[in-house]
Amino acid sequence: MTRSRNALEFKGRWLSITRVRVLDADLDAIRAQLAAFARQMPAAVKGMATVIDSEVDCELAALLGELRAVGMQPLGVSEGPLAERARALGLAVLSREAGKATAPSADTPVPADPRPARAAAQPSPAAAARIVETPVRSGQQIYAQAGDLIVLNTVSPGAEVIADGCIHVYGKLAGRAIAGARGDERARIFCRKLEAELIAIAGIYAVAEQIKDGPRGAPAQAYLEHGRLKIEPHKV
Amino acid sequence: MAKIVVVTSGKGGVGKTTTAASFATGLAARGHKTAVVDFDVGLRNLDLIMGVERRVVFDFVNVIHGEATLKQALIKDKQFENLSILAASQTRDKDALTAAGVERVLDELAAEFEYVVCDSPAGIERGAHLAMYFADEALVVTNPEVSSVRDSDRVLGLLASKTRRAERGDGKVREHLVLTRYNPARVAKGEMLSVDDVKEILAIPLLGVIPESQAVLTCSNAGVPVIREENADAGLAYQDLVARFLGEERPHRFLDQKKGLFSKLFGG
Repeated sequence: MTRSRNALEFKGRWLSITRVRVLDADLDAIRAQLAAFARQMPAAVKGMATVIDSEVDCELAALLGELRAVGMQPLGVSEGPLAERARALGLAVLSREAGKATAPSADTPVPADPRPARAAAQPSPAAAARIVETPVRSGQQIYAQAGDLIVLNTVSPGAEVIADGCIHVYGKLAGRAIAGARGDERARIFCRKLEAELIAIAGIYAVAEQIKDGPRGAPAQAYLEHGRLKIEPHKV
Repeated sequence: MAKIVVVTSGKGGVGKTTTAASFATGLAARGHKTAVVDFDVGLRNLDLIMGVERRVVFDFVNVIHGEATLKQALIKDKQFENLSILAASQTRDKDALTAAGVERVLDELAAEFEYVVCDSPAGIERGAHLAMYFADEALVVTNPEVSSVRDSDRVLGLLASKTRRAERGDGKVREHLVLTRYNPARVAKGEMLSVDDVKEILAIPLLGVIPESQAVLTCSNAGVPVIREENADAGLAYQDLVARFLGEERPHRFLDQKKGLFSKLFGG
């Protein structure tokens, strides 16, 4: 007997997944950091799909509990010391090659990704850019999920603009700008007049005190180079 | 249907009640039936500034709770019969205000008056939120100094998002900048933000600049809104402000230092 239709359909799909590297297996420290993160960026944390990457063995079941307690969704672990525990719990175990950072360093050639259907740890902006035309006032927080944020006006001191992708401000940027909110180290921040209180890309940040010798009051661009935050004047 | 105009600021002590009192008086003086309502439950001041503190029987909270009718609570101004004041309660606190209650009272006022001026308390909590929630237009009162400007910016964000108009998508609450306690001498010395500085940061149309004036204190002690003091620059500035609100073109006065005799004789 033959069926006229398949029961399943396989489609390639890009998924935004954050890699959670375990630096310290102390559960109390982990719990405290997760709580702080969830407080600062509740919208990003809720439902965040994660893959746990650890070089050391740790209490995987307890760690999963902590992640889930703040609303994250751990999908699996990277191949390594946690693989055994993961398999026992029925979690996915992903090869380390899945979704390496795409910012190439000078001596390694950019690897062509032969498996586009696999989830990438660096999300490519899947959503259209979010465009804001009115001033972003003090106390307002705008989060462009899975894409870029474009502000065609000013960002006031005390305002926060956040994006998983890049942030473009066609005006004065005087508040906080957080790009690459889910870990995309390729994200950049552009503005016409830099007076930001805080600039952050993929978790690497600098406050106004540290930027003060930079291009304040002028068009500027911020990006990560080898993990270091660079804030430079932008002239054509 | 009346226009509901909130006088708000975020920062305390910048001149909201002073402005609300003079603004409402100015509108009434020009023939528009106006009601001015004090939303600062527990710390009421509008009645003092309007000179009606000895005639308050029922207040805003009494009306909301059905303990009195609006007619019983409204106090008619002695000078302008077009002008009525609704005082706040002094004994209760802001939790006595409910959104439904406020809406009902404002609807009743809007049916009878052309303009309903809402004097907001300072801050961004319940009293301030309810004062701005039903507004069609807003006077954002700001002192030319950094904390006031930042607080006004916060309030502008709330006006754009946490008002009935914003939630219904009914068109924006129209925002007007009122710069108060302006001191041209200090601006010239660089101690105070200039009109242009504030306009650049807040980016809303300038309705008026009220110079720092001793008359404000004397008038408040006398229970007379400063707009009625024709000898005071502040009074005249409020008159200009009302005129501009009603669509007239008036150049901004009192922006420059008063020239002393010396500079008048020798220029500069």
